[in-house]
Amino acid sequence: MIEFCRVTKIYNRDIKALDNVSLSIDKGEFIFLVGPSGAGKSTFVRLLLREELPTEGRIVVDGIDTGRLRRSQVPFFRRRIGMVFQDFRLLPERTVSENVAFALRVVEAPRREIYRRVPQVLHLVGLAHKSRAKPAELSGGEQQRVALARALVNNPPILIADEPTGNLDPDTAWDIMRLLVEINQRGTTVVVATHAHEIVDRLRRRVVALENGRVVRDEEKGAYGGEV
Amino acid sequence: MRFSTWEFYLREAGRSLIRNRFMSLASISTVALSLVILGVFLLGAVNLNNVAGTLENQVEVTAFLDEKLQAEEIAAVTARIKNLDGVREVNYVSKEEALERLKEQFGERRDLLDSVEKNNPLRNAVEVRTKTPDDVKTVVQELKAMPAVAKVSFKEEIIDRLFKFTKAIRLVGLAVVVLLVGATIFLISNTIRLTVFARRREINIMKLVGATDWFIRWPFVLEGMCLGLVGSLPAVILVARFYKWLAASVYQTLPFIPLLPPDAVLGCIQLLLVGIGVLVGAIGSAISIRRFLQV
Repeated sequence: MIEFCRVTKIYNRDIKALDNVSLSIDKGEFIFLVGPSGAGKSTFVRLLLREELPTEGRIVVDGIDTGRLRRSQVPFFRRRIGMVFQDFRLLPERTVSENVAFALRVVEAPRREIYRRVPQVLHLVGLAHKSRAKPAELSGGEQQRVALARALVNNPPILIADEPTGNLDPDTAWDIMRLLVEINQRGTTVVVATHAHEIVDRLRRRVVALENGRVVRDEEKGAYGGEV
Repeated sequence: MRFSTWEFYLREAGRSLIRNRFMSLASISTVALSLVILGVFLLGAVNLNNVAGTLENQVEVTAFLDEKLQAEEIAAVTARIKNLDGVREVNYVSKEEALERLKEQFGERRDLLDSVEKNNPLRNAVEVRTKTPDDVKTVVQELKAMPAVAKVSFKEEIIDRLFKFTKAIRLVGLAVVVLLVGATIFLISNTIRLTVFARRREINIMKLVGATDWFIRWPFVLEGMCLGLVGSLPAVILVARFYKWLAASVYQTLPFIPLLPPDAVLGCIQLLLVGIGVLVGAIGSAISIRRFLQV
């Protein structure tokens, strides 16, 4: 599903954000991308979304080589990837359901589809009762669920979460993680970039550890620190 | 493109206009002001062009005919001149008619001409108007080559100077119009850049969920067009009022100035101003959003 082949990304000529990274993620996998700040997690995500191109190497996502993608095709490519961020990135002056519907409007989904899908995903993330609330009236966990609903509403085969629990207290973080696991069980490939030790250690999923732009560890049912 | 998508664009544009109402008001006034200046200038240019055009068309070549020609020969020569390339119309003036004209010009002192009446020193002539002022030189050459034509008269220097003058007017006019349109685009794009900047988060999210560049652009372009349209309305009204007032007072006090009648020019100019306003709004916003799309 996601294939990094000897990928190197250099910023400003001498800052190596990723150094010869090769990584293969299968369809339906759930993986944690861990590592200290500056290890290259964000660069990994940006390359995956084709916000940037690798300096060297090849990235293939869902059968598409991002390096060969024409600029005009990038939006259609991004529709295959659901994205969740640490800071939620919701539109503050729109209601919950408007925020979710926004992702469908943008892809020019028919109105009937919007009316059908939005309540569905809001139900999935457990926020059906708050559909008319504005983001400011919600807790952090609830806001992140709205972001999740927005990421899922287009049924993308891949979901990427960049520090999804970074701004949340431990209990709420667990709720979000459980949701991510549930989404993964429905067949979506899930990549979570995080440095939440307890979560990684308890879930025992595949862990890819980055350090200074290199993959230093890649193990099934791994832990954050690497001691199995 | 779906209807509901256009509805979405329009609603987005409206939302933004209302949310940024002070900024919107500022750009509307800017558009209005620029268009007023542009409108007044265009009216001036149209009038100058008109004057230049009439002056150019007044250029006339006179071919004086050989004195010995008989009536039928005169008719044949006149017909031949009329068939020359570049000739628009010919007008035969006999020497008697020429004398009559002269008398008219003398007005009350026409008695001075009584003495020449019996022995008219004037010549039969053909007055020639060319299709375009540029044809004058070739027509003159053709006329000079005709044996039946004794002498050709036209005011070469005046023509050359006139052409230079009218060309300069048109060039300067064009330059000023381009400059004004450019300045208006710049002002609008600056205003819309502020609203785009205020919404960069939203644009970012749109890109994230896979919106195409045009999908993101349209609401802003519509917003710009709306600003241009609303700004052009007061400009159009103001320009029309001004020109009607100007025309009325000129006709009354300075009737020899050939000002074009308001009904003949205003419709066109007003339409043009509204069109430029809308277009400039669209271009201005398209320019200002370009930078934010490059993610």
